[in-house]
Amino acid sequence: MALPDRIDPRPPRRIYRWDLDKTYLQTEFDTFRQLVRTALQKATEKQAVPGAAALIRELRAQGDSQLCIISGSPTQMRTVLEAKLKLDGVEWDELVLKDNVRNLLRGRFRALRGQVGYKLPVLLESRIHAPVEAEEVLFGDDAEADAFIYSLYADLIAGRVDEAVLGQVLEAAQVYPDDRARIVTAWRAVPRADPVRRIFIHLDRLTPPAYFARYGPRVVPIFNYFQAALVLLADGELTAAQVARVAVEMVQTAGHNLLTLSNSFQDLLRRGLPVQAVAAPLLQALEGALQGPDAVLQAFRPLPDIVKAFTRRVAALGAPPQPPEPRPIDYLSVLDDARPRTHPARKRP
Amino acid sequence: MRPRATTIAFDVMGSDHGPAEVVRGAAALSLEAPHIHALLVGDAQQIDAILAETRHSGERISVHHAPEFVGMHEKPSEALGRTHNASVLVAARLVAEGEADAMVSAGNTGAGVLACARTFKLIPGVRRAALASVFPTRTWHGSKQDPFSLILDVGATVDATAEDLVVFAVMGSAYARIISKNPNPSVALLSNGTEATKGPPRVVEAHAKLVQHPGIRFVGNVEGVDIPKGTADVICCDGFVGNVCLKMLEGVAETVVELANYAYQSALRWKVGLAMLSNGLKQLKDVTDWQQYGGAPVLGFDRLFIKAHGRSKARAIANAGKVAAKAVTSDLAHAIREGLQPGS
Repeated sequence: MALPDRIDPRPPRRIYRWDLDKTYLQTEFDTFRQLVRTALQKATEKQAVPGAAALIRELRAQGDSQLCIISGSPTQMRTVLEAKLKLDGVEWDELVLKDNVRNLLRGRFRALRGQVGYKLPVLLESRIHAPVEAEEVLFGDDAEADAFIYSLYADLIAGRVDEAVLGQVLEAAQVYPDDRARIVTAWRAVPRADPVRRIFIHLDRLTPPAYFARYGPRVVPIFNYFQAALVLLADGELTAAQVARVAVEMVQTAGHNLLTLSNSFQDLLRRGLPVQAVAAPLLQALEGALQGPDAVLQAFRPLPDIVKAFTRRVAALGAPPQPPEPRPIDYLSVLDDARPRTHPARKRP
Repeated sequence: MRPRATTIAFDVMGSDHGPAEVVRGAAALSLEAPHIHALLVGDAQQIDAILAETRHSGERISVHHAPEFVGMHEKPSEALGRTHNASVLVAARLVAEGEADAMVSAGNTGAGVLACARTFKLIPGVRRAALASVFPTRTWHGSKQDPFSLILDVGATVDATAEDLVVFAVMGSAYARIISKNPNPSVALLSNGTEATKGPPRVVEAHAKLVQHPGIRFVGNVEGVDIPKGTADVICCDGFVGNVCLKMLEGVAETVVELANYAYQSALRWKVGLAMLSNGLKQLKDVTDWQQYGGAPVLGFDRLFIKAHGRSKARAIANAGKVAAKAVTSDLAHAIREGLQPGS
């Protein structure tokens, strides 16, 4: 009997959804000149946010996972973006880009900058085919509406948002009727589950972290990907050694040092994130790595310095604050966040 | 070349505006100067509440919990005797232990100086520390063209000896060289006449010593009237005289503003005249704005303490942090040490 030429992989246990610009890539397109420069950049000229590639590689190394990238970049950039991801050693399962030429030809000018009408249907349609038990971790940034869209997506598939509220959100976000229909259809088709564990928001614009308190503790604003790795270590998604490797990439490629890393660690503690317990295993992993053949970890300072920096940051706080209590998100009160960044009615800190 | 990473400890508590302006100043600093890390010492809960609402870089800020503080009107020795965990003392201790490189405080000046005296070491050759202050002048100083001259001591050492005044001259000269980028600053003694024999015995003796000091461009004595003229880049006196001078000069400036307000309200002609001058007055205010200079350094210790004005807003605090970092990276303490041992 002939064997099939391809054995299907096991269904994913974890799905990681990433935005690209300002989340994975350091992109500037606030002015027309920046937009043109970004569009003309070669793959080798594009810079990933420090630690992002290492974090993705470590998450993928856990196995049984899927990486879905949804970007607002135009479809014409697919070749260069794929080349960049390959250069960084990132393997993806889905890479969805925005068909802005089609939007232009159809006169859908709101859709050029709109985020809700583009990302929400893509997220929901992707979820339809995912195993019900597959959990998700989402990565976005503070430049557009990622915290809003990801939270709404999570609460829609968990059944915490009803159709009336969804309708008002889509109205406020000025989503075109056909996209609204797509969203509602996909939402009805998605099996009800509560799979979204974390939503990381990379603070590219350094929005004050308290701004995101409205989305509850599931949304974690991060200054860098070492912070995301620490939270994922606390959540059991990564091992301490993997977190150390993310830190090393940041030290080697972006000038991070013991101060920035230990400060980042303390910043999470002060915001009530449960990372105090991960300090010991992380330091143990570093100790093991420094004694072992993994020369890359020698990029760090001597172990006693590292231990001192991290333990001092913990001790300096006295009793860290309690984690904030989860509470339902009132989407109608944060509708402003659903609007495009350039919308005149949108107020941002 | 990337500047050396520097950590500045900020005593967050005890300023006239409470913790908010100090935290916002440090937050601004974390965005403007990537090589400067801020260690905020004070009530962690209050600091975090302000920080969470303020744009900042979490990578460049850490917090050390110290909820107690010395009030503006408390007697420093009594207040620091009451608690060993006052924020200014904890901040000084963290600097002494090497957790930070310098300290900035907008709180009680006496408590700040006393905290330094208890935790830092005096540089060999320095008997008493000096609080230095900048004062706007009509001439420009150094390659940065600072419209300020430096006066020291303005309150740390009430009764300075001739040797102390010489040390103040060395320290002020080193500070002007490094911070104002003035390679050869002129140094003068404050007295009641320009002649070498004028003044109390300690000033006369200091004059004689400074004339022969090889590392200092000593220009002799100056009188009070020379301070706002900017006759010298650095003016030395004891803490009692310096403090009286500084307060008087501040009082004169405030009185001038009050008189201008009076004139503004008195007659339409004056009102129009002042309105026509408003742009020029604003430029003058910007040029002489003390907030851009940050604060007054306490010189003489192996570690630096910048005393920011009690009324400092965020911009002044951020600038105080920058001045402190600059003094650290330029190794001000080493420059003072060298100045005190010119032959070595």
